[in-house]
Amino acid sequence: MFLTVSNLTKSYYGGITTPVLDGINMELEQGSIGVILGPSGSGKSTLMNIIGGVDRADGGEVLVDGINVTALTDDQLTEYRRERIGFIFQFYNLIPNLTVAENIEVVSNISKAPLPVDDVLSAVGLADKKRRFPRELSGGEQQRVSIARAIVKNPALLLCDEPTGALDYVTSRDVLALLQKVNTEYGTSILMITHNSAIAGMAQAVYKLRDGKVAEAYRNSQLVPAERIEW
Amino acid sequence: MALQKRIWRILSENKGRYIGIFILIFLGSFTLVAAKGFADNYGLLVNRFALHNLQEDLSFSVDQPLEGLAALKQETGAAIEPYRYADIPLSDKGELRLLTPQQTVNLPAVTSGSGLQQPGDILIDPFFASTHGFKIGDRIDTGHQSFRIVGTLALPHYIYPLKYINDILPPSGFGIGLVSPADMDSHPEAVTVYSVRFAARDNLGGQVIGLRAALEKQGVGLSDWTDAGNNKRIRMPWATITGAKTIAVPLPVALFLLCCLIVGIVIWRTVKADSVIIGALYAQGYRRRELTLHYLTLPLLLAAAGGLTGVLMGLPTIYPTVKYMANSYYIIPYEKLAVSAADVLAGILMPSAFLGLAAFLVIRRELRKTAGELMKGDRGKTKINFLERGLRLERFSFGTKFRLREQLRSIPRLLFLLFGVTAASVMMMFGFTINHSMNVVFQSGVDGTYDYAWEYSFKETRQGQVPNGATPFNALRCYPESKENAEFYLTGIASNADGIFLRDAGGNLLPKNQVNITYLLADRLKLREGQRIAFVSKLDGRSYELVVDGIVQTYSGQFIYMPLEDFNKLTGQPAGSYTGVFSMGKLPYEDWELAGVKDLQNLNNTMEDLAAPMTLMVIFMALIAALMGAIIIYLVTSLMIEESRATISLLKVFGYRGKEVRSLILNGSAWVVLLGFMLSIPLMLASASALYGYLGEMINMVLPIMLNPAYVILSFALIVTVYQATKGLSGRKLIKIPMSEALKAGSE
Ligand SMILES: Nc1ncnc2c1ncn2[C@@H]1O[C@H](COP(=O)(O)OP(=O)(O)OP(=O)(O)O)[C@@H](O)[C@H]1O
Ligand SMILES: [Mg+2]
Repeated sequence: MFLTVSNLTKSYYGGITTPVLDGINMELEQGSIGVILGPSGSGKSTLMNIIGGVDRADGGEVLVDGINVTALTDDQLTEYRRERIGFIFQFYNLIPNLTVAENIEVVSNISKAPLPVDDVLSAVGLADKKRRFPRELSGGEQQRVSIARAIVKNPALLLCDEPTGALDYVTSRDVLALLQKVNTEYGTSILMITHNSAIAGMAQAVYKLRDGKVAEAYRNSQLVPAERIEW
Repeated sequence: MALQKRIWRILSENKGRYIGIFILIFLGSFTLVAAKGFADNYGLLVNRFALHNLQEDLSFSVDQPLEGLAALKQETGAAIEPYRYADIPLSDKGELRLLTPQQTVNLPAVTSGSGLQQPGDILIDPFFASTHGFKIGDRIDTGHQSFRIVGTLALPHYIYPLKYINDILPPSGFGIGLVSPADMDSHPEAVTVYSVRFAARDNLGGQVIGLRAALEKQGVGLSDWTDAGNNKRIRMPWATITGAKTIAVPLPVALFLLCCLIVGIVIWRTVKADSVIIGALYAQGYRRRELTLHYLTLPLLLAAAGGLTGVLMGLPTIYPTVKYMANSYYIIPYEKLAVSAADVLAGILMPSAFLGLAAFLVIRRELRKTAGELMKGDRGKTKINFLERGLRLERFSFGTKFRLREQLRSIPRLLFLLFGVTAASVMMMFGFTINHSMNVVFQSGVDGTYDYAWEYSFKETRQGQVPNGATPFNALRCYPESKENAEFYLTGIASNADGIFLRDAGGNLLPKNQVNITYLLADRLKLREGQRIAFVSKLDGRSYELVVDGIVQTYSGQFIYMPLEDFNKLTGQPAGSYTGVFSMGKLPYEDWELAGVKDLQNLNNTMEDLAAPMTLMVIFMALIAALMGAIIIYLVTSLMIEESRATISLLKVFGYRGKEVRSLILNGSAWVVLLGFMLSIPLMLASASALYGYLGEMINMVLPIMLNPAYVILSFALIVTVYQATKGLSGRKLIKIPMSEALKAGSE
């Protein structure tokens, strides 16, 4: 199994202890797409952050590609993120004073075997806008840059926290299609958080969280192409 | 207003930053009040002393006692009165110049104790008293005379107690003492000098010419004609006063302007960050004026606190500094000082005016927006400025691009760092450079021009043989026709004077049978080889003209050298005339024959006396400059880190290692620091040349403008050290920025 989460727990302490993750179990196969659904505050982002190595769990285990993420030191976590994880955020998080191409270079700069920047730019359909600054792009275009930035290092696992959360319907579908293309063309495993259960149709594995627990989990044998998702 | 409570929170959230700005403002106000207060008060005291104690306008010596003095005074309307002086070596490595008092000119000022009452009494200068440990009531034994010290004094024509008028420093242990004429009678070798002060205080130049004509009519031989304007004993205080004045205003203004930039940036960011709140407050009926006032509070508070502290700490330094100078450097009576209310007000209000205006302009621009616009909140939507847009950086490495863009992101911030580093470097190197120029001038005595050990100059012109091993010279004080205060010596030297080496810039020996001009004088008069110089003799007003053949690369003052025979012919003196000799060994001349003796090889000893306080001052200046640099770099770095929080956090998420983040964010300013430092070199040279220009005009002292590579490197090393240390400090701030910031925040 490419990704295995077992019995993961996490609480925030501050006066009263709030359990955020309460014994999460989850599996994802190499090269597949997983979707995490759930109401606001259910612990989706917290879970993803622990898998991505930017946050730490209290108990349980996360195995990614054979690496025991929960046992890594801070420095090892840095190397882990650097070599294996691609991040895509709801609000794109592009660096405003860098051009499109430079934003992608932020990641390719520290990758061992990055894809050519121009190639990924073409792949996301922005080859002609590489000299623009983020503020000169639409939201959808910005999210494409952010996808290009995440895939330029050819990561083992792509983590997307509500990648379409700030986009309209049509643009969202384009972005999802792009992610699906990345998944099939590069064979990248993708874990995606969304509020939109319609999106679950394009994922092999679907997990619904509620109050820090997996309330429901199922697999899709029949995948819906992103272009045909409607909501 | 409840809003005002925020001020304290904002202040305490960024303590380091506001302390930094406070110190910059403080330094500005302090310098303004202290330097200007010193310069003004000291200048006033010097002027008042000259006026009240009837300082001479000129002095001269004559070859025979002046007859018809009363008629002469009548004719010229001037006070003309002789005094006598004699130099007495003291047993313990010191020398005392005894002078007799005058009644109509150069009135002595008793600064402590009482005046002369009876023969055997002596008044001495306070510096001499302190260096030799003399107190009122002590006795000074000169060998065949014993004086009782009755007090200390200041003399208008010996404010700077130089032994020889062309010296730059008094010999160590040298001092002056005033004794009664009766006591002077036992010194037959005493020299008589006439001091002149004109009654009418205008058209002094014309009156000088009239007096000289009257004296020539009497047929007296004049020597040592010295105008007060060229008399270092009288004019030297102005070097220090001018020096203090040069920094008194420009430095504070530069500091205040720098603070404007930084405060402008900080306020702009605060207002921007608050724009949603401001919009909401507008919507609730807050008035623009109330909000403007709110945001003005912080800069005004900082400016007022810094200004007030600067003034309060600057004021008490004035009196001790003036007192110290008046007692041990340029001897004058000092009294209660007046502090200029205008300076105090300027020290307090100038920072407020500067910062208030800068902040006001920034605030007004933001607050002009409508409540709706503001509430929409374009937080984080940094505009792309023309520098960022214009740059084509494709061929650079990512690191270079990133660092460059990080710097160009905010032009005010960039300017602040650039000019801040420039200002700090200028200040640092300014001190070093002046120190170096002085050293060069002092050492020029041993720069290889003179192989001779001694220079003797006589009171009167001589003819005939000179002692073995000596070579004669003759000299005339002159000034260029167009520039009366650029006084120089026209010197005739024997063509076969084998101990004098005049070298050009290439190090080649210049022939001594031609007209050679020293570099400093040529530079000042913009003269080159082959050009003509027209000049006037100070002694008799006759005009001459010479063509310059060579320029001597030496920093030892302002001279034109020409062959002795030609000199005598040109000036109409008998062949073989000379007024002094150079010699390899000591010669047995008597003190009364001599106008001066110079130990050409040991000028360095005198220099050491000056070196200690000078070095202290330079070190102090360098330290202040380093502090300034540190604050400026710290302010910029902390601002940059804050503005880049989201980016830094994101880099961490992407797996950048701590060292890599630090290098990307912090090392980007290195080239700005380097550029700022390089800018400071020409700027410093320009300000030094301006100061030297003043010195030339004020006291006819010329210093070469030279950059000592060692000092440039030292200054650079200091700036780099400050930069590195500050980066180290800021590095800790970087580490503290959490990754969650990038994960939560939605920036562009
Ligand atoms: N730093 C923190 N300190 C305390 N509590 C926190 C912290 N971060 C998150 N939480 C809490 O943990 C819970 C889960 O947060 P998380 O961000 O994982 O939710 P989410 O499912 O991603 O929600 P959303 O859909 O709104 O993004 C929330 O109740 C939140 O309040
Ligand atoms: Mg979330």
